Amino acid sequence: MAGFSNFSLDPYEGVWTTREASHLLRRTMYSPSKDDIADAAAEGLDNIVSRLLQGNLLPDLPVNFYYDGDPFTPIGESWVNKPMPRADNTNQIRRARVRSISAWTMGLALEEGVSIREKMTLFWHNHFVTGDERDPNFIHKNITLYRQNFLGNFRELTKQTTIDPSMLRYLNGNQNTRFKPNENYARELLELFTIGKGPTVGEGDYTNYTEHDVAEIAKVLTGWRDKGYLYREGGELPGSFFTSWRHDTTTKKLSRRFGEIEIPNMGEQEYSHLIDIIFEQEEVSRFIARKIYRWFVYYDIDDVIEKNVIYPMSEILRENDYEMYPMVEALLKSQHFYDSYAIGSLIKNPLDFLVGTIKQLEIDLGTDMRRKYQLWLRIGNLSELLQMSYFTPPNVAGWKAYYQEPLYYRTWINSTTLSLRFQLTNLLINGVEAEDIRIGADVLGMIEKIEGADDPIVLIDQLAALVLPEEITDDQKSYLKSILLPGLPDYEWTVEYNEYLANPNNRELKTAVENRLRGMIAGMMSLPEYQLS
Amino acid sequence: MMKRRSFLRSGSILSLPLALNGVKVGVFSQTIFEEIIDPNNDRVFVLIQQNGGNDGLNTIIPIDQYDNLANARSDILIPENRIIKLTEQTGLHPVMTGVKELYDQGMLNIIQSVGYPNQNRSHFRSTDIWNTGSAAQEVLATGWIGRYLDSIHSGFPEDYPNSDFPHPVAITLGPTVSETCQGIAANFSLAINDPTSLSMIPGTEGQELPDNPYGRELTFLRQILSQTNEYAEILSGVAEMGTNLSPLYPEQGVNRLADQLRTVAQLISGGLQTRIYIVNINGFDTHANQTSASNSTVGIHANLLTDLSQAVHAFMDDLQRQGLDQRVIAATRSEFGRKIVSNGSFGTDHGNAAPLLVFGSCVNPGMYGENPTIGSNVDPSEGVEMKVDFRNVFGSILIDWLGASETTVQSIFSNVFTKLPIVTACSTTPTTELPVETAVSVRAFPNPFLDNLTVQFKTPGGPAQINLIDASGQRVAVLADENYAPGEYTIEYKVPDIPPGTYYYQFVNGDFSKTQSLLHF
Repeated sequence: MAGFSNFSLDPYEGVWTTREASHLLRRTMYSPSKDDIADAAAEGLDNIVSRLLQGNLLPDLPVNFYYDGDPFTPIGESWVNKPMPRADNTNQIRRARVRSISAWTMGLALEEGVSIREKMTLFWHNHFVTGDERDPNFIHKNITLYRQNFLGNFRELTKQTTIDPSMLRYLNGNQNTRFKPNENYARELLELFTIGKGPTVGEGDYTNYTEHDVAEIAKVLTGWRDKGYLYREGGELPGSFFTSWRHDTTTKKLSRRFGEIEIPNMGEQEYSHLIDIIFEQEEVSRFIARKIYRWFVYYDIDDVIEKNVIYPMSEILRENDYEMYPMVEALLKSQHFYDSYAIGSLIKNPLDFLVGTIKQLEIDLGTDMRRKYQLWLRIGNLSELLQMSYFTPPNVAGWKAYYQEPLYYRTWINSTTLSLRFQLTNLLINGVEAEDIRIGADVLGMIEKIEGADDPIVLIDQLAALVLPEEITDDQKSYLKSILLPGLPDYEWTVEYNEYLANPNNRELKTAVENRLRGMIAGMMSLPEYQLS
Repeated sequence: MMKRRSFLRSGSILSLPLALNGVKVGVFSQTIFEEIIDPNNDRVFVLIQQNGGNDGLNTIIPIDQYDNLANARSDILIPENRIIKLTEQTGLHPVMTGVKELYDQGMLNIIQSVGYPNQNRSHFRSTDIWNTGSAAQEVLATGWIGRYLDSIHSGFPEDYPNSDFPHPVAITLGPTVSETCQGIAANFSLAINDPTSLSMIPGTEGQELPDNPYGRELTFLRQILSQTNEYAEILSGVAEMGTNLSPLYPEQGVNRLADQLRTVAQLISGGLQTRIYIVNINGFDTHANQTSASNSTVGIHANLLTDLSQAVHAFMDDLQRQGLDQRVIAATRSEFGRKIVSNGSFGTDHGNAAPLLVFGSCVNPGMYGENPTIGSNVDPSEGVEMKVDFRNVFGSILIDWLGASETTVQSIFSNVFTKLPIVTACSTTPTTELPVETAVSVRAFPNPFLDNLTVQFKTPGGPAQINLIDASGQRVAVLADENYAPGEYTIEYKVPDIPPGTYYYQFVNGDFSKTQSLLHF
């Protein structure tokens, strides 16, 4: 691996073409459109990166989309911050709201716009994992924290997460008292959320922290509880509060890994002080830099990458007081990010695959609110079938693809999930009845914007550039052309496509052209290359 | 020679008591029960697709129309003295010496003026029609071979491959499956490039992937992909057992049709039980330089016909040498013929009907139908008039060669079918003479299913129940539960709001029961 010259976080100064622009957009969005890529290529690296990273307004709240038995939320209105009634149908109401937020989350992915926000929101969800939450208001509050601060201050996010009501429940912080300390959150705070576990170098000593630190930090965090869980009318909104009588008021002393610092009783402010102490360790910045790298670039971090990319990233993070924006910006503008080493190497996770495929195929889900939510909900269900379920990561470490050696991204793919992906692609291309409408690829719409689409070579080149991360071989292109034009010379595509364009209402002509296109696009999306981003 | 030991296939047909409620079940067999597979019928049908629209008038040349042809297409017409005469009236393009040999041996049936009514001159649309066997104004989603295979493999693709059908039902030589083989629940054909390396992904032969993360992850994905082909091992084993004996095959890589047919012969020789093969020869869309400007006997079309003639000749010779020739027939097809009048670029434009060739030791040798009539003053837009509907040709092959019943063929071709004497030389075993079997079968599709699930079943009568069961064994729904009269039934089930994942449907009818997994998206 030594010998690669562009393993550097220095600003990229090479050519800026659609190849680089689409790489940037593919990694920071679920799936860019042809227009998005063209715009990005035209406006240049600096402009498109600031557009991608800029803050944007929070989306409209999720709404009740089908259940007419929720006394506080008529269909079409949002249930967020509405209480749960005391009624026989509490469970149905809760279920309808959970479905609403699940569906809505898929909708936000599909309607992401040119923004890194949704990918970063999922990054944080995968970083500060919570799961199995039963209260939709808790889920909404938790995910909104990350969506609102998607490139915010890592230290601040850690502080807010520490007392986030979902997290207090998920890792038992709400049961952590001076009488019965619960170490669950303290351990993950160190191991998974901030500094990471280093090599075990002694009894209970993980280089970056020790077992003693876990016990002491648990004491620091005693006294916090969540409130407003499944709250009733007139009750309190979801939140957290500090109960001083449950708090351990003794002075805690951390190990030599933290300079044996003492933490006196600071009551309600103590957790915040603790996190400031943890964040003084430089390893925290490297830990999150590696995680960002694995999210946006590639999983393999060897000594060269560690030294030339991760260290400089972490320095930027520290220089900017743990603000994420400058570090992510530097990465997305770096030489390394645009090196062929970084292009096309990321295996799409199920959401990348599903949301991306639906966007690529320009599948129209209609405008009806209820039906859209229902279809979004099904996309979430399908993602679960492909082994990724939003709001339910497999465990507190998140999805294996982003931490589990040696497979990493490859954990998404086995012969079952790969077959499922192919079946889904084919189904979506050919169209299927769902929620009383036929949904399917708009293959003619997909090629409408391609200039010179009546030339099969241009058509295949342009489509491949849009859906595949790297140039495919001439043999692969002729294979695709042989599907589009079985045994025919190129100009017959020109003739037939133009004839369709001249007679767009001729059903037989349209079907015949669509059939050819569907086959070719299915062939393209069945290339294993399509699983890469 | 392969002989199936039994009519019965596990999983989809079970023997049932012959009498139910005092009525002999057998009387229903011709109309309501699926085709019984003749255990002795190990016959193979090879479809040769001449893609692009073959110029029939320069292939099978109507010598008796020569003067009028000379008016219409003097620049590309074969000189009369170069035509290979089959009869005084009809001859072959001079390069088709192999085909002449087969004609002389009684192994060729030429069917004149084949097409379909209301010819559509769009390649795409016309190919759709030849694939589906639809009428000109009809749009069908399944292929005609697919519908035939649906009639005998009513459980496909569930449980395939299985011990009775361990081999692919149909094979397409090339990178993509044939739309002709599209069935209601799945495509019956397996696309193979090279049976000895099925893991080969189209267009990647000899490709060296870069030594970088992209190359590494792609290598991994390709490995996983190659593991998804469940026929890979069987096919490479069969291919290894098979052989080719004809010296007439051109060198590998020279004639792509010959290469494909050589593979087909090798697979048949190795004992593959697949009965349908689709092969392709491309490039018949000869708008320009169909013939050379200086010599009408050479050019693109001459090269294509050389390939066709050599390939079929070698293939038939190979089969004869291996004693397999009575098991195989092959037929050509092209989406249309070309215009009678040539176009000024030493080529021809899209036309109508054209001759169709059927090869094999068992075909009715000779010619079916008259030469087309060429007028003395042909309109430039005119094509050869259609006399024989292609559906009659293929339907006759299905009946007389593959053993389909006429009822089935009528339903495949919307009841417009008329039988022709195409296969007559070898004794056939019509289905009507088979012992009557009772049958019960069931299948559900599509798989994966979304909002709609169709269950089709055939019953000899009696109480039948269909349940939908989830992965934990909980019954989700009862799709059917009543006492049925003997017959075929279709249940259209509107799927309620259930999570995606694996489900099972369970069909119970008398002693017969079947449970099969389905995927819900």
